[in-house]
Amino acid sequence: MKKLLTLLRKRPSFQAWLLLLPSAFWLFVFFIAPLFIVLIYSFLERGTYGGVQWHFTLENYRRTFDPLYFKTFGRSFYIAIVTTIATLLIGYPLAYYIASRPAKRRGTLVLALMIPFWTNFLVRTYAWLTLLRTHTGLINVTLMSLGWIQKPLPLFGNDFAIIVGLVYGWLPDMVLPIYAALDRLDHSLLEAASDLYASGPNVFRRIVWPLSLPGVVAGSMLVFIPSLGAFVTPAILGGGKTLMIGNIISNQFLAAHDWPFGSALSFVMMAVMLAATLIYFRATSDEERRQL
Amino acid sequence: MSETYAVELRNVVKQFGEVVAVNNVSLRIGEGEFFSMLGPSGCGKTTTLRMIAGLEMPTSGSVMIYGEEQGYLPPYQRPVNTVFQNYALFPHMTVAQNVAFGLEMKKVPKDEIRRRVAEALELVQLTGKEKRRPKQLSGGQKQRVALARALVNRPKVLLLDEPLGALDLKLRKAMQSELKALQERVGITFVYVTHDQEEALVMSDRIAVMNEGNVLQVGTPEEIYETPTSRFVADFIGKTNFLNGEVVEIGDGLAKVVLENGAVVEASVPEGKTFVRGERATVSIRPERVYITPANELPDVRNAKAFSHLPAKLVKFFYVGSERRYVVLVGDTEVVVQAQNVDRSTRRCHTGDEVVLHWDSAQARLLKE
Repeated sequence: MKKLLTLLRKRPSFQAWLLLLPSAFWLFVFFIAPLFIVLIYSFLERGTYGGVQWHFTLENYRRTFDPLYFKTFGRSFYIAIVTTIATLLIGYPLAYYIASRPAKRRGTLVLALMIPFWTNFLVRTYAWLTLLRTHTGLINVTLMSLGWIQKPLPLFGNDFAIIVGLVYGWLPDMVLPIYAALDRLDHSLLEAASDLYASGPNVFRRIVWPLSLPGVVAGSMLVFIPSLGAFVTPAILGGGKTLMIGNIISNQFLAAHDWPFGSALSFVMMAVMLAATLIYFRATSDEERRQL
Repeated sequence: MSETYAVELRNVVKQFGEVVAVNNVSLRIGEGEFFSMLGPSGCGKTTTLRMIAGLEMPTSGSVMIYGEEQGYLPPYQRPVNTVFQNYALFPHMTVAQNVAFGLEMKKVPKDEIRRRVAEALELVQLTGKEKRRPKQLSGGQKQRVALARALVNRPKVLLLDEPLGALDLKLRKAMQSELKALQERVGITFVYVTHDQEEALVMSDRIAVMNEGNVLQVGTPEEIYETPTSRFVADFIGKTNFLNGEVVEIGDGLAKVVLENGAVVEASVPEGKTFVRGERATVSIRPERVYITPANELPDVRNAKAFSHLPAKLVKFFYVGSERRYVVLVGDTEVVVQAQNVDRSTRRCHTGDEVVLHWDSAQARLLKE
């Protein structure tokens, strides 16, 4: 024991490794190892009742380029992008509003933003179901009983419903990073810009927006990635008709018992996400680097 | 017809809720003047400056720039620019982009912007640093960028809010003379806020001394130092000794005061102030204006109409090289005397001795207590 302590004192880098051990172990057992299993499964043949047969094949990856799945990928992308833009359009003004309140109010408002999200995600998504449902949903029922519309609006079982659910679900993930960036913004910069003949819109365009961009980039990634892989929201609000890639993957595992194909789809999606993230960061990093 | 001033404040009041930050301030700042507002923190000097800039709106009163009422004009419509205390440089822009910002907002043609930015950077000796980011600059360089960014717009009035406050002492001294020279070269009216009295004295054409939202005195550095009209100004600018007493006689510009220990001294009465016999008052005398001699001797000075003599007891002596500093007791009051290290008579005073203080009565000031 004493020998070990002396060794640790002599070689401080051992201390760091020792401290990293628990988290490294956790990460390996619950993240890297499963990922590796999924990778191996994606190259195997399916078993009849789930599971795999140990024959190497590339067939699963070939199948992911089937037009049917390709289209679903495209739709998922479209939905994730629209969700990200909508979240940004709602989230930025909200973050700006919170950041411009007096210090005391800000904490309360951030808390108010978080409180709904203490409720289970599934429950909240079902709550939207009761609002949006075509014939029995609260919105359509109200509007029809008021006589404002004759036929129910197509609020449910389509892309619109999924996007509404996703925007609602991921809004705080957009607001918080933007809020953090705006909160750090030195107020005297705005005064300086105003002193240098910049009107309100110009102050925003030239000072506030570029300086909050790191928050926007972070928020966008935090919304885009889970939106692309979403499966609970489309399953509930898509009404079983509108599917996203997340639903297909979960179906491969739970319904079709085709684990290797589900694994292959997962890996293709991961690759696509990685590529999208890299492209996005590359496109915005110039602005980001200016920050530093 | 009244004369036009670069900046004129008339009865300006600024309240933040219950707090009165600026209380009925009236100032006239002439064209091309280096005008300083000097006072301790919280005296309202920065708030006054921000009201000229349009960053704060006065609760009442009027702010005029070259005779034009500014009213509630926003900062971006006023012909002034500000150098902020922490410089407020835009971190995501280069030095050149920072300096060009105001001109771009005013939609000045591109090639003119390029020319004027180059000129401004040359003026502050930053040529070659165009592509740097604010984070890559030293404090002094940031300071120069902030100056160039404001001056490039050729404002009618340049407002400076403690611009040297964040610099170290040596750099601050260097920047003081540089700023003053720059102001003389560009000929723009400077309104300068500082809490550093030496800075204000060295650079300013005129100084307004402020305290608790009020302007106490406006004058040239010499007037402010030599003829303070209030105890606060005498105390805040430079060092001084205060001797409390009672006015016993008022003559031609001079008044006789009997001090608490019974001694009678003379002091000059500030213009515009009136004292009555029997009134409690304070005599203010600068340490370097007092001569100290052994008892029953006179100082080796001439050319004074009236001299005051005051017996005291020498309690401490400090040798400072260029000067000799004495601390004496007049009754219970400590008085500091600073003598140039050339005066022979002072050298014969030793700690514990009975001594006499002498001063030209015109150099002492009678102030309200």
